[in-house]
Amino acid sequence: MTKELEHQFVSELEINQNIVHKVCSLYTDNREAHNDLFQEITIQLWKAYPKFRGDSKFSTWMYRVALNTAITLYRKSKKQPKTQAFDTVIYKVKAEQYDPTEEKQLNLMYSAIRELGDIDKALVFLYLEDKNYTEIADTLGISEVNARVKMSRIKTKLRTILNP
Amino acid sequence: MMDELDLLKKDWQRREQEMPRLTFEQIHRMIWKKSSSVVRWIFYISIIEFIAPHLLYLIPSFRSGMNYDVAGSLGIKVPLIILTVLQYAVALYFILQFYKRYREISVLDSAGNLMNRIIRTRKTVKNYVVFCLSMILVFFAVFIGGMVFSQDLMEALQLHPQGEVDPERLKWVVVGIMAVAGVVFTAVMGGIYFLLYGLLTRKLHQNYKDLRRMEA
Repeated sequence: MTKELEHQFVSELEINQNIVHKVCSLYTDNREAHNDLFQEITIQLWKAYPKFRGDSKFSTWMYRVALNTAITLYRKSKKQPKTQAFDTVIYKVKAEQYDPTEEKQLNLMYSAIRELGDIDKALVFLYLEDKNYTEIADTLGISEVNARVKMSRIKTKLRTILNP
Repeated sequence: MMDELDLLKKDWQRREQEMPRLTFEQIHRMIWKKSSSVVRWIFYISIIEFIAPHLLYLIPSFRSGMNYDVAGSLGIKVPLIILTVLQYAVALYFILQFYKRYREISVLDSAGNLMNRIIRTRKTVKNYVVFCLSMILVFFAVFIGGMVFSQDLMEALQLHPQGEVDPERLKWVVVGIMAVAGVVFTAVMGGIYFLLYGLLTRKLHQNYKDLRRMEA
């Protein structure tokens, strides 16, 4: 029974692991920390898995557990270099799509997002994942209005960074 | 003007293919590894802390020191027993509380709810630390009280000073040392608690404040 459950869980996570990787890439800035957080999220998911009844999609449930782990339960490792290794964090855009100005803009935005607080990051993340405000508000436990207000502030902030 | 974030959104979704990919085996191995979450550590530390002082009795010299009935000869045995019973009762209560908090915390909550629960844990921890520190002070105070009112302090402490020493003066020196030791010990314990619990929950506190600000 446990073996079966375990197998089922691991295969579902394997299919949906992208979500966890994306959360890790926003909340950590080196490979080691990325793997650390990935592991912590995996453990939290596994612990909560028996309570997952399938009333929402596996991926929706994953968003919540992954973000909650990143902003509340995860202990950041002691060594946290302020500088970021760019090539490990910002995955390179494929050559044929390369556009120098756009690339520069995007990199600026990504580094601006990394400077945000944990909660703001979660907001931006859910936004980038194409979640609507109801879902964002529900995941973070704030009201929809607040989610909108906060998001528009973040947008303004990003705009000023891009057009100084 | 196009929304910058929409540009970013497109790029973000394009990046999906460039994320690392783990194999079934790699993920499978992970679920048996230890977790390092904040709340779990608060719970563990509270238990270790409850047990640790008792390990001191395992050290022989400490045990023989305990066997000699200083409290009895100082005439503070009864208040000490009452205090000890009280201390254990309250400490047990706190451990139960920690356990309850630990069980309450479920990753399935919304981040806001989860944060509230963790902040509640933090408060429990704070009350616990205040209780422990005041208990240390009270114990020292009881001892000092016993010493001040003791008829023959030197005999009670089994101190046999060499040569001529004014017993009255020596008494106040011992009491003074005890008082300073009490304060220093409390401060050191306070520092340890701060390091253990304060640093553990610092990030949580920051996030909680952020959420609160959003609601305001």
